[in-house]
Amino acid sequence: MDRTQLLLTLSIALFSLGLVGVMIRRNALVMLMCMELMLNGVILSLVTFAERTATVSGAVLVFLVFVVAAAEIAIAIPIVLLLARQRHTLDVGAWSGLKG
Amino acid sequence: MSLETLLLYFFAAAALAGGVLMLVARHPMRVALALISSMVSLAGIYAILGVHVIAVFQVLIYVGAVMVFMVYVIMLLDVRDPSFLERYGRALVPSVAVAGVLAAALGAAVSRGRIATAADLAHVQPEGAPAPFAVQPFSVEFLGDYWLHFELTSVLLLAAVVAAIAVIKAGRRHDG
Amino acid sequence: MTMDLLTLIVLLPLAGFVLNGLAGNRLGKGFVSVVGCGLPIVAFMATVRALLELQATGGSALLETVYTWAMVGDFRFEVAFYFDRLSALMTLIVTGVGSLIHVYSTGYMKDDASYARYFAYLNLFLFFMLLLVLGRSLLVCFVGWEGVGLASYLLIGFWFEDPAKAAAGKKAFITNRVGDAGFLLGMFLIYHALGTLDFDAVNAAFNGPVAPAVSASLVGLLLFVGATGKSAQIPLHVWLPDAMAGPTPVSALIHAATMVTAGVYLVARLNGLYLHAPEASQVIAIVGLATAFFAATIAVVQTDIKKVLAYSTVSQLGFMFLALGVGAYGVAVFHVYTHAFFKACLFLGAGSVIHAMSGEQDVRRMGGLARKIPVTFVTFAVATAAIAGIPPLAGFFSKDEILWFAFASERGGSPLLWIVASFTALMTAFYMFRLLMLTFLTPSRMDEKTAHHVHESPVSMTGVLVVLAVLSAIGGFFHVYHFLEPVMPMPAENEALEHLKLPLVIFAVVTGLTGLAAAVYVYGKGLARADRLQQRFAGLHRLLSGKYYVDELYEAVLGRPLHWISERVFLDLGDRALIDGTLHGLTGLAQRAAGRLSRVETGNLQFYVLLAALGVVASLAWMWGHG
Repeated sequence: MDRTQLLLTLSIALFSLGLVGVMIRRNALVMLMCMELMLNGVILSLVTFAERTATVSGAVLVFLVFVVAAAEIAIAIPIVLLLARQRHTLDVGAWSGLKG
Repeated sequence: MSLETLLLYFFAAAALAGGVLMLVARHPMRVALALISSMVSLAGIYAILGVHVIAVFQVLIYVGAVMVFMVYVIMLLDVRDPSFLERYGRALVPSVAVAGVLAAALGAAVSRGRIATAADLAHVQPEGAPAPFAVQPFSVEFLGDYWLHFELTSVLLLAAVVAAIAVIKAGRRHDG
Repeated sequence: MTMDLLTLIVLLPLAGFVLNGLAGNRLGKGFVSVVGCGLPIVAFMATVRALLELQATGGSALLETVYTWAMVGDFRFEVAFYFDRLSALMTLIVTGVGSLIHVYSTGYMKDDASYARYFAYLNLFLFFMLLLVLGRSLLVCFVGWEGVGLASYLLIGFWFEDPAKAAAGKKAFITNRVGDAGFLLGMFLIYHALGTLDFDAVNAAFNGPVAPAVSASLVGLLLFVGATGKSAQIPLHVWLPDAMAGPTPVSALIHAATMVTAGVYLVARLNGLYLHAPEASQVIAIVGLATAFFAATIAVVQTDIKKVLAYSTVSQLGFMFLALGVGAYGVAVFHVYTHAFFKACLFLGAGSVIHAMSGEQDVRRMGGLARKIPVTFVTFAVATAAIAGIPPLAGFFSKDEILWFAFASERGGSPLLWIVASFTALMTAFYMFRLLMLTFLTPSRMDEKTAHHVHESPVSMTGVLVVLAVLSAIGGFFHVYHFLEPVMPMPAENEALEHLKLPLVIFAVVTGLTGLAAAVYVYGKGLARADRLQQRFAGLHRLLSGKYYVDELYEAVLGRPLHWISERVFLDLGDRALIDGTLHGLTGLAQRAAGRLSRVETGNLQFYVLLAALGVVASLAWMWGHG
């Protein structure tokens, strides 16, 4: 398998692993980190394509994704903090108010 | 098998290992460290590809800011709660199955498709020009053609700061 | 002006209805009386004028087309009026006797709170009755037919706050409706076979050289079913006695003089058809005779003054149908004419008695009224003699002709018919004189308070009684059947029996006098002898008092099963189980489905992510599956 295929496969694998982690881990912070993993997988595929086509716009897009990821985590963590303070636990299962 | 390819395989394996460890580790701190190692491996892959700017940014922003923040919060909170004792939620097997199917489908698509190369595109890199992903050409092009996007990101960050302050304030009000 | 005479006659009472109905309550009793009585009187005068015109044209009919109601294909349904000798006679009776009864009502209903409504309905009735007798086609006639049924319902149930009276109105309307089904079917057959509904065209078609493609007897029978309902013949006679719940002038006008004769009018009008329907005519004769006989037997034991007269009406209508059945159409109409006079006089007289007795209607509590209310007594006596067939009063002439043709007509007359009819005439004389004796001539059985209040009725009532009594006395001298001969030919008489005509007449007179004598013998001194007879024939008396239990039979055979079907089949099964069940089932289904589906909302965030991922996988698969 050539380089591109390898990297794309890796990207898919990282994305899937992140998805599994979001779906199965119960700790809120760990879920956030798995989401970061998914994002990283996608960034990897972006970079692969950018390198192959040798356009800078791909890299610019990656840069912007970094910015967005940073902003996102800056908000998500305080939200998780507040939620955790409410229920005194980081367990996502504690929040099932929308049941039924 | 050149050195480049070997390193590539090595870093790929490391990234994968980090991902798997994330799923398995019990303590959130270990999960964070696994993620950090995954990210650093990815930075290595970017460097091998020659996309130096991105590699640097990966380490600076992602590891240096995002993961540090995450580690800080983990250390702040008491993590020995029900989620510590019971790592996995209820939908363990179905989740793995679905994700596996998704991965298989995407992988099948990748192995069958044809991916465009630089030769397919009209844009042709002049011979001997410095690699487009070095810092200087990158920033020239970035701030030249994409300055609007740059300004917009600063707006986005401003919004994020304001939002973060609002969230904290709300939290404080709630706690009395 | 002359062209619209018939339309004017019809519309005048309608105007009365509208005026009294809308403004009567506000404008006071004086206005209502003037409008309510005046317009029918003007209609009567217009009728006389039309009659003169008819005579001037030498008897050919006046025809007025008002407008085209509907057009179906090539056929036009028109509202048109037809005035020949028969219509003239009927219209004169309707407007003449009608006006008299309107005038009587101003006295009788003086103290009623719904005075305006009463006159409005009465005028409405006149309007529909005139549509009936003046209509050129069966369709217009049917509109009038239904309309008089409606007016009858409204007027029988006039005091509708009493549920029994309202129920009587309903019974009348529903029984009529049953007959109307037959009428409609007859109409459909005629239209289908002949393509027209005009009376003159139908008669001409049946009298013509080519027989129409429908059985005349079948149509005749169906139309007779309608007549049975309207004219209270067996088996649809049950509504007429109950209809006495309405005000007495209503009984006089609608249930004696005019509406109930509509059936007779229908058959007489279509004499062209019935001439060619021997089977139907035979049925009519037998049903009429049976009705006459059985109604007379019931009248013998009735104790309510109005009920006796009601059964008497049913019986007399039976006589009219007997005459129609043997082909003597003109004679039947003659009896309609005389019956209108003496029966209206009898009913109004009864009204006067009831008025004098402060509402008492039971003859067992009357008696000795002859001295106290003399005008009423004399007019009542004259009318009683008329109905009993005492010469030379009107009833003698008409009833005698009927008996003669029942015996000697070539179209179905037989001695058997004559014998039963004569016996019925005997009973008629008996029960009518019984009524006269018990009400007026026997010693008083009234209680003190009622006896004290007995007073003669006002002139508005007694004046009309006198007029009607005079007409009952002299009306018979105008031989209507000769007048109608151009329109309704007399049936051929059996030549061989010609010599029996005079003996039969004498026999009829003797019959009437025998009835009178029997009544005097049994009731001369009061109820004592009658009570002894009642105890001796207790079973028979029970049967007659119970009116042969026809009402109970109908209730058991028709009423209760229908009620059962309505309740068990339609309500429980159809409505509750089927419709409600379906709806409840659907809603239950929706609720249960929603309950099951809502299990997707676990409130668990990771489960939702799983579902999202599942959706992505599914859409990917679908995309790749479909190229």
